[in-house]
Amino acid sequence: MSDFYIYLSNITLPMLQGMVITLSVFAVTIVCSIPLGFMFTLMARSRLKPVKSLAKGYIYVVRGTPLLLQIMFVYFGLPLLPVVGHYLILGRFTAACLAFCMNYAAYFAEIFRGGLLAIDKGQYEAAKVLGLTKLETMIRVVIPQMIRVCLPAISNETITLVKDTALVTVIGVAEILHYAKTAVNRDSDNFAFLVAAALYLLINFVITMVFKKLETKYEF
Amino acid sequence: MMEIIKVNQLNKSFGDNHVLKDISFTVNKGDVMAIIGSSGSGKSTLLRCLIDLEKADSGDIIMEGKPLLKDGVYPSAPEIRTIIMKMGMVFQHFNLFPHLTVRQNLELAPKVVKKEETGAMNQRCEAYLNKVGLLERIDAMPSTLSGGEKQRVAIARALMMNPDILLFDEPTSALDPELTGEVLSVMQSLANEHMTMVVVTHEMSFAREVANKVVFMDSGTILEEGSPEDIFIHPKEKRTQAFLSSILREQSNKAAKTKKHYRLKKYC
Repeated sequence: MSDFYIYLSNITLPMLQGMVITLSVFAVTIVCSIPLGFMFTLMARSRLKPVKSLAKGYIYVVRGTPLLLQIMFVYFGLPLLPVVGHYLILGRFTAACLAFCMNYAAYFAEIFRGGLLAIDKGQYEAAKVLGLTKLETMIRVVIPQMIRVCLPAISNETITLVKDTALVTVIGVAEILHYAKTAVNRDSDNFAFLVAAALYLLINFVITMVFKKLETKYEF
Repeated sequence: MMEIIKVNQLNKSFGDNHVLKDISFTVNKGDVMAIIGSSGSGKSTLLRCLIDLEKADSGDIIMEGKPLLKDGVYPSAPEIRTIIMKMGMVFQHFNLFPHLTVRQNLELAPKVVKKEETGAMNQRCEAYLNKVGLLERIDAMPSTLSGGEKQRVAIARALMMNPDILLFDEPTSALDPELTGEVLSVMQSLANEHMTMVVVTHEMSFAREVANKVVFMDSGTILEEGSPEDIFIHPKEKRTQAFLSSILREQSNKAAKTKKHYRLKKYC
């Protein structure tokens, strides 16, 4: 029995190191892609045709191609670009974060778009006749309501993000799954995969709880 | 007599649909003007043009001497904003901010737009809620209020900006019949305090008993205007007579059904 615990700690400790990387990719992506996504939402609603087309084109391309391919493109592909490629040789972790931010921004943009559609035009009118500027209306009236509408979808997307971080093993970023695979290959024992699954579940348990709290807080 | 709003030769089309045709009228300080007419006659569009929720195509809208629209041309956005800030509007569907409490609904605009000091603002908020009879609901969320309560909060919210004129767009049309009275009585008390109001309404009793000017609109024109006696007792136009007899018949049927007398006085 004690042999089992020794083995468990032997494979789990490196995986916990990997979990730090997983959580870092996760945190960077959440912090960057949500504002970036909202920016794309606003751009897609812009009255300026080029701005609108740019945002819509971006969302189309990013949502229409596999995330795995995007990660490989950022890491292996960008340095091959003519002229600028030389400056785009990125570290594994940086490349992974960049690909995730770009990808998730597109999805968040669509989530926010849905949230904005759910807001009645009477809200904009009420804010206008009370003298609020467009910016004040956005910040005080529209965004808080949009967040409430979007929370379930954001929660869903966030959980997907945790699991998607496993894809960065493809460019050799040492996260949970990377260490699990190493252990499995070394010991010819699939048990490490179970431990990895438990770690992902643990992260998502915490995230689910956090969003539950947020949903109660934003309820109206 | 001080003019609050002067509208001259106002025109507005939605595509091929010419909804406002050469509309001209004046609202003086202390006037309560009721705009009546069948659906699609352009009365809501007219009201929305006055506060820049719709853009008119040509004509003038002069608010307290300042042009909101002059010969079909609008001033800059900040100028429009300062002009419409002197007006308040109450909507058919209330449009309260659902994520804010009653107090926050009232205080949002004074805080953000006028940067009003908190103490004075709180006092005014409580005073207006008291006036509409909802002081005890100050911390409630809008979703917990009845329709009539929502509309009274919406009126208090509009009053917080100290408007020189209040515009009402069918303020009781979304309410159950038994809830219209509480809203109408608030409006009546505002009229008693000489608040200038323009009210688009289907409540003929309100138009007759509270308004001092009644405007009858028909397919985009002002067909007839005058005192409530002029319109309700001695209507000149055939269309006005037909409209009034049909709506009064409909309302007396409704009143008979609910076994309530359709009289505003009862509520006031």
